[in-house]
This record gives sequence, C-alpha cells and structure tokens, in this order.
Amino acid sequence: MREKWRAFAAAWKLALRIAGLSFRAELEYRANFVTNVIFGIAWQSATIVFATVILSSFPGMGGWSSHQVLLIVGMRTLSHGLYALIFDRNYLLEMLVQDGRLETFLLRPMRVYRQIQLAVFPTSAIGDLLVGVSIFTWAVSVSGLHWTPARIAYLASGVIGGMLMEAAMATTLASLLLRYPATMAWNAWIEDLAGTFGNYPLNIFPSPITSALTFVLPLAFIAYFPAAVLTRHTGGLNVPAAVAVAAPLICLGAYVGTRLLWNARLRRYTGVTG
Amino acid sequence: MSGLTAARGWRTARITPLSDLLSPGRITGRAIRLAVQVFLVVFLWRALYANVDIKAGLTEVMAVTYAVLAVLMVDTRAFARFGARDTVIQHMQSGTIVYWFLRPLAPQHYYFWRGVGEQAYGIAWAGAGCVACAVAGVLGPPASAGAAAAFGGTFLVGQSLLYYLALLTDLMCFWAIRNNSVVAILAFTQNLLSGAYAALWYFPEWFRFVSQLLPFQYTIGIPLSFYVGRIPVADFPAQLAAAAGWVAALAILSRVLWYKAVKLLAAQGG
Repeated sequence: MREKWRAFAAAWKLALRIAGLSFRAELEYRANFVTNVIFGIAWQSATIVFATVILSSFPGMGGWSSHQVLLIVGMRTLSHGLYALIFDRNYLLEMLVQDGRLETFLLRPMRVYRQIQLAVFPTSAIGDLLVGVSIFTWAVSVSGLHWTPARIAYLASGVIGGMLMEAAMATTLASLLLRYPATMAWNAWIEDLAGTFGNYPLNIFPSPITSALTFVLPLAFIAYFPAAVLTRHTGGLNVPAAVAVAAPLICLGAYVGTRLLWNARLRRYTGVTG
Repeated sequence: MSGLTAARGWRTARITPLSDLLSPGRITGRAIRLAVQVFLVVFLWRALYANVDIKAGLTEVMAVTYAVLAVLMVDTRAFARFGARDTVIQHMQSGTIVYWFLRPLAPQHYYFWRGVGEQAYGIAWAGAGCVACAVAGVLGPPASAGAAAAFGGTFLVGQSLLYYLALLTDLMCFWAIRNNSVVAILAFTQNLLSGAYAALWYFPEWFRFVSQLLPFQYTIGIPLSFYVGRIPVADFPAQLAAAAGWVAALAILSRVLWYKAVKLLAAQGG
C-alpha cells in the first residue's frame, strides 16, 4: 500500500514539474501568453454577455427565474474552467496521430493520456478560470439559496462532476481520434454546444431532445441536474430525482468508463507506419 | 485578368469545395451539426419569448428568424484550412510559406481565390440551409421585397468585409511567431460585435454605440436586421455606403500589409 502511495505521489510530483516547465515555456512568448489569458477571458465572457443580456431582457425561461438560470451558467463556466486547466488537450491528438508523433509518447515511461494533457500548458485556461470563478461567485451570491454545509458540499461535487463529464465526452472523442483524426471537428462542435446550450434549463427543448442531451450527449449532467437539485426543480426533469441527485457520481462513473475505453482503443492503436 | 490567371484562380477556388465533396462523411457530419444547432436555437428563442410578445423591437418570429439566419451565416466561415495545413500560421511556422511565393499564382491571388471558393461554398451551404429551414417553418420570409434586396446588398458587402478581416488576421502572422490567441480573440470579437451570438438590439445602448464604430456589425447584424425588418429599407444607402467604406479601407490596409509582408519574409534560414 505504501509503495503504491509513493508511486502515486511521485507521479504527481513529476506531472507538476512538467506542468511548471510547460508554463515557463509559454512565458517565453510573453505577448502570446498575455493574449492567451485574454482569449480565455473573452471566450467565457461571450457566454456571460449572452446569458446576462438575455436574462436581463427576459423574465426567465422554462419555469426557472433569471437568478436560477444564472446558477447553471456559473456552475458550468467554473466546471469548464477546471476542465480546460486539467483535461482540454485532446485537440493535440489530431496532429499527433497524423504526423505519427504519438509513437514517441508510447515509448516513454508515463501514461499516454497524462503525457497528452501535460504536452502544453493551457494558458487560456487561466482566463477561463478567472471568469468561471467570478460568475460562479456572482451566481451563488444572488441565488437566494440558504447555503448549508450539505448544500455547499453538493455544489462543489456538482462542479467537479461537471468537469469530469466534460472530460468524459472529450475522452470518448479522443478514443475515436486515435483511428479517425477527422473526429476533431466534432470535438470543437460539442465544446461549442456545451458552451451555448449547457447554460440553460434543458426542459425548454422537446422531450426527445432533452433525452438526447441527457443520454447521448450528456450535457444535462454538467450543470443542469445539480442546479435543479439545489433549486428544487427536480419535478420537471426527464429523469427520476434520484438520478439528478446522483449526477456527480454518474459523472465520475462516466469519466472512469471513458478512460477504460481510451485504454482499450490505445492498445489497438496502429500508427502511420503500421 | 488574363485567361490563364482566371483558370488558375478557378482551380484554386475549387480546392475547398472539392476536398469537402470528396468526403461524404464530412458533409454528413456538417449537415447534422448544422441541423442540430438550428433546431436548438429555435427552441431557445421560443422559450425566451414564451411570456413576452416583443423585446428590443423584435417579435418572436423576427428573433427566431434572426437567430436561424445567424447560425447559417456564421457557418459560412467554418471551413477551417487547419486540417489541410494550409493556414498562413502553419506555413509560417513550418517555413513552407515560401512556396506561396514560388508558384505561378501570386500569394495575394492564391489567398483571394481560396477565400472566394470557401465563401461561395459556404454561401451555398447557407442557401441550402435557408431552404430547409423555410420548408420546416422556422424561417420567416423577409419583411418586404425592399428588405430582401437590402439584405442581399448588405450581405454581399458583408462577405467582402469578412474576407478582408480574415486576411488581415492572417497577415499578422508575418510579424508574430505565435498568434493563435490573437486570431481566436478576433474571431470572438467578430462574433460578438457582429450580432452572431445575439442580435445587437438586445444589448445596452453603450454596447451598440461601440459596435457602430467598428466594421463587424456589417457582416451579420445589419443584413439580418434588414431581413427581419428591424431597420427600415430607407436606411439601406447609408448602411451600404458605411459597409463599402470599411471594405475600401481594409482593402487598402491589406494591400499595404501584403507589400510589407513580402519584404519581410525570411523562411527556412532566409
């Protein structure tokens, strides 16, 4: 047990060292570093601008008040910021596979998935996180909810769950990227879709679409279900309330499942040289 | 323009459509993504207007029509050359930009014809999308015949503007080693200030004032506002002149930058 713990601690130490080196490498291009951070802020600000303009113009949607919808926006943007910081490097796979450079990753003594996540430091994630934390804080403060320790714990697990579900979707696509590099277009689209429609109560869509956004492309688990539990909107969901309550655990399960899928696909990976 | 140049231009313009048409999977995926996007946008705006008749001068039908057309118009720009390794930044970083200057077709003309081909192909997609949406009943007709004409005129000038904005962004690559984030910020700014995310009519007064000082609103916001009848047709000459002024200014600027870029270019050791 102690050996395993040591190995785990050593792996994290190494990962942090590599992340530190990547961060310093990014700092070599200072103008690009600053604009990258601004980009992260700007990108997430688009969500906020759209959400705040729309929510201030309209009284709410789908039976949710503007402040309740804002809680979905806050949870999703923070989840996305954490996802961008830790997981969002699968886009590199397209070029790595096409160039045959993934083979070098296979030869190194570290998990390939981890190597990909550590390949570059995501400078724009700093901006993502800054905006995520800001809007999350704002949403929580105006939500009008009484924040008991249990609620705070559920809120935190909902945000982490959202991050894991986004990582699970990206990992599924990454598994496909190993064989079909053109899958990348879907990755960008899903991120765009989550950024746009993941911010609203999904009960505004017809039932088949809500089901698709729950069981096929599980955007509902990222912020909608946890926010519904916190704001007591579980009655109008397309799943039993227990499923919504268990959303963070389901997200964790989805992530673990997609990592197993990735491992299976990686074992079957054949590079450009056969 | 000589016949030979025109033939070379035509062959260059066909690159994007041909590479797309030879990949049925890519076309199917694109159609599915576009259809889902339109479908979701329609229900989003209908939900927002569930308890409101008119907001910012737009009724539900006008808002849904605007949003659907905005999705289709943004999609005309979605043909990324990144996968084909033919973006300026990729060529600059790998040094292959020098080949643009060795071909019989000048780099400016190559870039122009690639852009024309991409935008024409994108407009064909948008047109097909409009027909499908009209048949599905989610796209209202133009407010009047005059509004349709004003939309057509400002749309075409807006497409020219889009071309020059993309060109200027790419020309920046000759000065910056890494400019991915600047490109992304400009794309974001363009979407926000053009009214692609939401019609500018919903935004505060100060925001609309700022967007009036910039060229972006002429690419999407102004044409669509004519289409849905939010701007009277009488404003067409003034809006068209303003958009054309921006096109002329950006064309001159891009010409100067091309000239300077050619002088500056040093690839693969000079």
